[in-house]
Amino acid sequence: MGENRPRRRVRPLGQFVAAAVAGAVLSERVAAHSGSLGGSVASATVPTWLTVLTGGIVVGGSFLFTTLLTDHDAMRGVNWWRLAVPTPTRLRRGVVSLVRACSVGVLLAVLATGFVGPREGVRNFALLLVWVGWWAGYTATTYLVGDTWPALNPWRAPLAAVRWARGPGGDDDRGIDSVVGEVSLPASWGVWPAVAGLLALVWLEVVSPVGENPRLLAGVVLAYTLVTVAGSLAVGEAWFERVDPVSAVFAAYGRVAPLRRDADGSLSLRLPGTALTEDPLPERPGEVAFVVALLWVTTYDGLVATPTWARAVGPLVEAGVSALVVYAAVLIAGFVLFVGVYRLAARRVRETADTYVTARAIERWFAPALLPIAAGYHLAHFLGYFLGLAPALAAVATSPLAPTASPLALVLPGWFGSVKLLFVLGGHVLAIWVAHSLAFELFPGVLAAIRSQYPSVVVMVFYTMTSLWVITQPYAPPPYV
Amino acid sequence: MPGETTPPHADRAPALRPSRDTAVPADEVPAATCPHCECPFRSEHARDLHVGERHDPTPSERERYEAALETERDDLWLFHAKAVVALGVTYAATVILYMVVLGSFF
Repeated sequence: MGENRPRRRVRPLGQFVAAAVAGAVLSERVAAHSGSLGGSVASATVPTWLTVLTGGIVVGGSFLFTTLLTDHDAMRGVNWWRLAVPTPTRLRRGVVSLVRACSVGVLLAVLATGFVGPREGVRNFALLLVWVGWWAGYTATTYLVGDTWPALNPWRAPLAAVRWARGPGGDDDRGIDSVVGEVSLPASWGVWPAVAGLLALVWLEVVSPVGENPRLLAGVVLAYTLVTVAGSLAVGEAWFERVDPVSAVFAAYGRVAPLRRDADGSLSLRLPGTALTEDPLPERPGEVAFVVALLWVTTYDGLVATPTWARAVGPLVEAGVSALVVYAAVLIAGFVLFVGVYRLAARRVRETADTYVTARAIERWFAPALLPIAAGYHLAHFLGYFLGLAPALAAVATSPLAPTASPLALVLPGWFGSVKLLFVLGGHVLAIWVAHSLAFELFPGVLAAIRSQYPSVVVMVFYTMTSLWVITQPYAPPPYV
Repeated sequence: MPGETTPPHADRAPALRPSRDTAVPADEVPAATCPHCECPFRSEHARDLHVGERHDPTPSERERYEAALETERDDLWLFHAKAVVALGVTYAATVILYMVVLGSFF
């Protein structure tokens, strides 16, 4: 293994094409006809185009299956099922304080080991913790378990401390906006600052060696800390809801999770993804764009590591265009394209569902259905990376300043690639169920609800195929950066 | 469900605000409007279903709702027949495609 650069996560996926193909075959029930087809043989015989096409067929097929489920009350029975989890207020407050104190300690450790720890990636605590422990492992818990970031977020500590020092009423829930000065975010900006922040962070991750250089990583974390603390003190809680891209990503993923906080603050356990059918996106500008951006950056991250990208970007850079500009331009152009296609699909829904509901309302209504797809891709990209390097993280964490010379890495079995493909497809199938349920809530009757899905199913089939194509490409390091 | 006396009210479902979330193009007159929430519809069929699902219908509205459900059931049967055929064709085509590509068909 010895891989320490996070964006190389794309490569293991590429290597597992063989097993992925086997997974695709299985999901189409062709296994009976090719029973001897092991993961190792398939890559030579099944071409990439067929893998890609199979992904599209699976998504289209699962839509057809879903149309057979038309009992609205039964659907609600599934989607609204919940189990209350008792959480006494005192316990909750105690745990939150303890957890936040720990996370502030970890943040300081990351800064310290980032600046003075070993330079090799697999031995550096900061690098392993941020990319393996946090961005791969912790992020997965936000959609698999629940969004614990508001409690864990160490950058909330200064704001919470100032509020606490100011006396009663300084609860960590919303309330006062600004702690220092009289700054407030214009409501018309909505969550657009978070959209811009997400795109900027992904651009930084792709074009800079922040994934392999601990010093640079520590610098970025320090800069992020300064900006976040200053921003949160200036505009208050709104910073974490509308500006901070990290909190926004976790909040979005948390909507998929089985553990959800209800409006009254009580905790309840649900079936994964069903909360999406109930909680609409907040009515703020940019909410839909943020969900679409989350989906696009997953694709972009993989796209820049394909040989096709290297071939396309080569002539441009040789013609004198700055590589950083090319990367940024494609990031923004792709985002605009994704938003445009989503808007177009929403407009088409007006016709297929024969309705007067506005395209804007349709966009907002169905956007939560995109989140399981993003979560599925995240899990597929990162679970192997996390499991492979988790032993190294554990070993280094025991002595961050003097780690062992060569920490262990876990080598995953070949069939793990099929499991990854199942995560991707599982995300899409869950998305189809969520969209189906949301359509039944929005449109009267059964047929209008089913017909309203046509445009988004077409888009989803092409998106699956694009993503599978990206995943099946061999890894090529993003050139010129 | 037609047999129920109380409609399944959307207590947990996200709510749609007709005044904000619907728009009728300037050159169109809505075929029907919900008497309870003023929501415009492109067909009386959709309005009748909406009233039965979302509001407390009067006896005459309930009658129209049940008639609309009946139409819906017939159309749905046809749709499902098509969906099942499409699923079968897709399945068979995929199997054959794999057999051709993997070289065991010819």
